[in-house]
Amino acid sequence: MIDFVRAELMKIRTTRGWYVYLGLIVLLVGLGVSGDIGTADDPTRSSAEYQRGVVEGAGFALLLALILAITVVTTEFRHGTITPTLLTTPRREIVVFAKAIAAILVSIGFALLAFLTLAVVGSIWLAAVGADNQLADPEVLRAAEELLLAAPIWALAGIAVGVLVQSQVAALVGTLIWIFLAETIIVAILELLDVGGLADYLPFQALDAADGTNPDLLPYGTAVGVSLAWAFVLGAAGTERLRRRDIT
Amino acid sequence: MIEVENLSKRFGKTQAVAGLSFRVEPGTITGFLGPNGAGKSTTLRSILGLVHPDAGRAVVLGVPYRRLDRPLHRVGAVLEASEVHPGRTGRNHLRVLATAAGLPRSRVDEVLTLVELMAGGERRVKGYSLGMRQRLGLAAAMLGDPEVLVLDEPANGLDPAGIRWLRDLLRALAAQGRTILVSSHVLAEVAQTVDRVVIIHRGRLIQQASIAEVLAGAQGATRVRSPEAARLRELVAAEGVEVNDADGALLVDLPPERVGEIAAQHGVVLHELTVERATLEEVFLELTGGETTE
Repeated sequence: MIDFVRAELMKIRTTRGWYVYLGLIVLLVGLGVSGDIGTADDPTRSSAEYQRGVVEGAGFALLLALILAITVVTTEFRHGTITPTLLTTPRREIVVFAKAIAAILVSIGFALLAFLTLAVVGSIWLAAVGADNQLADPEVLRAAEELLLAAPIWALAGIAVGVLVQSQVAALVGTLIWIFLAETIIVAILELLDVGGLADYLPFQALDAADGTNPDLLPYGTAVGVSLAWAFVLGAAGTERLRRRDIT
Repeated sequence: MIEVENLSKRFGKTQAVAGLSFRVEPGTITGFLGPNGAGKSTTLRSILGLVHPDAGRAVVLGVPYRRLDRPLHRVGAVLEASEVHPGRTGRNHLRVLATAAGLPRSRVDEVLTLVELMAGGERRVKGYSLGMRQRLGLAAAMLGDPEVLVLDEPANGLDPAGIRWLRDLLRALAAQGRTILVSSHVLAEVAQTVDRVVIIHRGRLIQQASIAEVLAGAQGATRVRSPEAARLRELVAAEGVEVNDADGALLVDLPPERVGEIAAQHGVVLHELTVERATLEEVFLELTGGETTE
């Protein structure tokens, strides 16, 4: 099993896309924190509560972890590498399992890289504008911890979507449409029908609450459970689909 | 070694394989032949556990491929040459497979040397020619030093020198006692390499035999040239056999001995008397109903 996970990690690291992901995290998290602290008012930006909000900017790494996890599966179909992969590992559920572990490890790495960027760039900015550095405040650290714990959930969700949809374009475009359009519409419809409470259980609403950044949705623990449930249900359906598929 | 029993597979309206059975004996090179679309790839992919047959079964080394423990160590396969991530280098592609199979990294250099691709190993695969991709595929198949090799049209995209190289490599691998099943839609490509052939057409078995048997089954004709061609034609036609013109000569459906006797009896001068064997390609076309799908 360890060998399969190592092979999956090697697949991720041996294409140029890997450096694009790392670069995007550093660049966008760095720019985000600069924009945040640079434009905030003076007394506000010294507070731990404000800096907690800044740390939540690392949530961008979760979106990238989701996208990477989707492509970890779909790139195999896009380039036909699923054939050598399955020749090496004919039991397809093991392939999915190895990919899930690899994606989880990478998602944690993404979150840590985002925090590192935040800590370095944030500390420099706070010092430059003469604000108090509260980044080590327990409240700020708890936000970071929840984000870090959410990363594997987003990675699992990505694997589940990837293995269910299998087509790269459909999975990526479909996910973005679902997140930014479809779910919003469903939420609106559910509210019209007076069952708005149900909306919180939709996959992305739950995922959004599972990183602790959205207190308007489900409570943290419930959100984590609902997100994991979605990932396992979709992932199991996708794994079954992969098991039955003819690789031609 | 490889056994296919009553294998059937349908894709939508197309019956790709229909009740196909054949065996590949240990230590032989078997050519798996048929026109394009005959069901060769579907059969090979069923053997390798990639396609689920509708009926029948395919086993390799006594078990379905999926039950093999460490399959890369037992069976090597080259399917389509394009099944590599274009942004990955050839060496990294092999390293990924070696890692998953628990093979040492040194094995990657060994197989790159074997297929004479050392120079291209550091380049991204998108810059590879089709011939280089075929070599990379062969390298991947040889990673685990397997006792069985399954190759789907490995000569595709190779230039004549490459085909010759492939033939020599396959012979060398077979001489080491490996079992090889190699598909092709061009019989001549593999005729000099294989011991046995399995010929299929429209998903059904046409013939399973040794190359020698296939050739023996081909009808020969006698090519005869004479300054008195018209008279000779009448004489042999009197025997009730078919006579055809061929570049100023006659092709007679009789053994050369009989044609010579007839000529001698009637004092006909002969300038040429040879046996015209049907070429492998003619045999192949005859067996598969003379259809080409190219």
